[in-house]
Amino acid sequence: MVTEIENDIKQTLRDFLLASINIADLDDEDNLFELGIVNSLFAVQLMTFIEKTFDLEVEADDLDIENFKSLNAAGAFVMKKKSRRNI
Amino acid sequence: MQHLLTEQQDARHTEFKVFVASNVEPFAEQWDREQAIPDSTLSLLATSGYFGCCIPPDLGGKGWDVVTFGLLNEALGKGSSALTVFLTVQTMVSMSLLKWGTPEQKRKWLPPLAKGEMIGAFALTEPDAGSDIQSLATELIAEGDHFILNGTKKWISCAQIAAVFLVFGKLKQHSVACLVPRDAPGVSVTPIHDLMGFRGAGLAEVRFNRVEVPADNLVGRPGFALSHVAPVGLQYGRLSTACSGLGLLRGCLEESIAYAARRKIGDRTMGEIGMIRSLIARMGTDWEAGSLLCHHACKAQDDNLPVAFEKTLMAKYFTSRAAVSAASNAVQIRGASGCHASSAVSRYYRDAKIMEIIEGTTQIHESMLGKMLIDQTRRLK
Repeated sequence: MVTEIENDIKQTLRDFLLASINIADLDDEDNLFELGIVNSLFAVQLMTFIEKTFDLEVEADDLDIENFKSLNAAGAFVMKKKSRRNI
Repeated sequence: MQHLLTEQQDARHTEFKVFVASNVEPFAEQWDREQAIPDSTLSLLATSGYFGCCIPPDLGGKGWDVVTFGLLNEALGKGSSALTVFLTVQTMVSMSLLKWGTPEQKRKWLPPLAKGEMIGAFALTEPDAGSDIQSLATELIAEGDHFILNGTKKWISCAQIAAVFLVFGKLKQHSVACLVPRDAPGVSVTPIHDLMGFRGAGLAEVRFNRVEVPADNLVGRPGFALSHVAPVGLQYGRLSTACSGLGLLRGCLEESIAYAARRKIGDRTMGEIGMIRSLIARMGTDWEAGSLLCHHACKAQDDNLPVAFEKTLMAKYFTSRAAVSAASNAVQIRGASGCHASSAVSRYYRDAKIMEIIEGTTQIHESMLGKMLIDQTRRLK
């Protein structure tokens, strides 16, 4: 079940993406890579935004397309990282 | 820009400038002529802790902030662009490892890199893949519990003396990065001489012929070398080059002011001539603007802000072009003496042009920045 916190995370990510890339809107399941909106420079910008905004570190083991391919995936990734840190 | 620095940053900048005045500037012309930096000078950089500027103390570094790293590059850049490249590349390799290396890789490689006991090289560019890094031909093939590396890298700074290479290539369709010691069987290094500028920077062509790479030497996960590993190194490379270019620009400005004050034409000094004042005014204004761009870029990197990448592109784009313009005008002010090796401005002129090429050409910067700014139209509304 998607929690309110996860929805807030996705909205924060959506706001950043829409402010950074020239697209009209972004659905939760839109694939960022298939849409061709993530180049190498933007990939590290997005990573840095996630690290800075959610106070976590993206590590080598986190480098998986599945973690960043969509808003749903990135939201779940942030939740997973934060819950691990709270254990 | 001084007012933006902390007391400690300002004090370190002074220390760096003193170091450069004593240990770099008197020898820079000789290094340029001989196309090599002496081991003793690299050892001085090492014992001063400069190679480990940004590396945390628990891994052998100084743990200084990025603003201080920028100030170090600025100071060294005024003395010798070629020497600064060793700091640039060492930091590119180190920071890529710090971000994406495994704990074991960090423990093994970062202390000797931070202490300058080992020089690293960032082996990305190929004979047919410069700005277009997506078309790398260097290839890894899985074989048992390791990989076999084949390929050629070209224009690799510091490769003449590097003990380890951070090599970028492809594993099937995935980009990969791996650490390759220079003494691994199958590695051969051919020095590249007679460059226009950066002549002491130890460039070489590096060939990998069936080099065995242990799986433990892969950095980051396959598929992310060009999207995540290389950009971290290139970010520091651009910060370093931007600040080094700023130092070169300061060198042009100081040389030009000093020359204009003492050189007489008739009964007037050159500094009293309007056209000379114009050239110096442009240099001074570019230096001030470049200082602010470099400071903001370094500060954004310190704060781990997403805009750090954009600000760094702007800083490097601006200072490299401003350095070319300032060096050209500095030679113009000096006249014939500026065309001779005995004047630092003739070296500045050749070195400055290289800054528009390395870590992404001016045109690549324009392309990336233009796209970024257009994509951000919504932010402007």
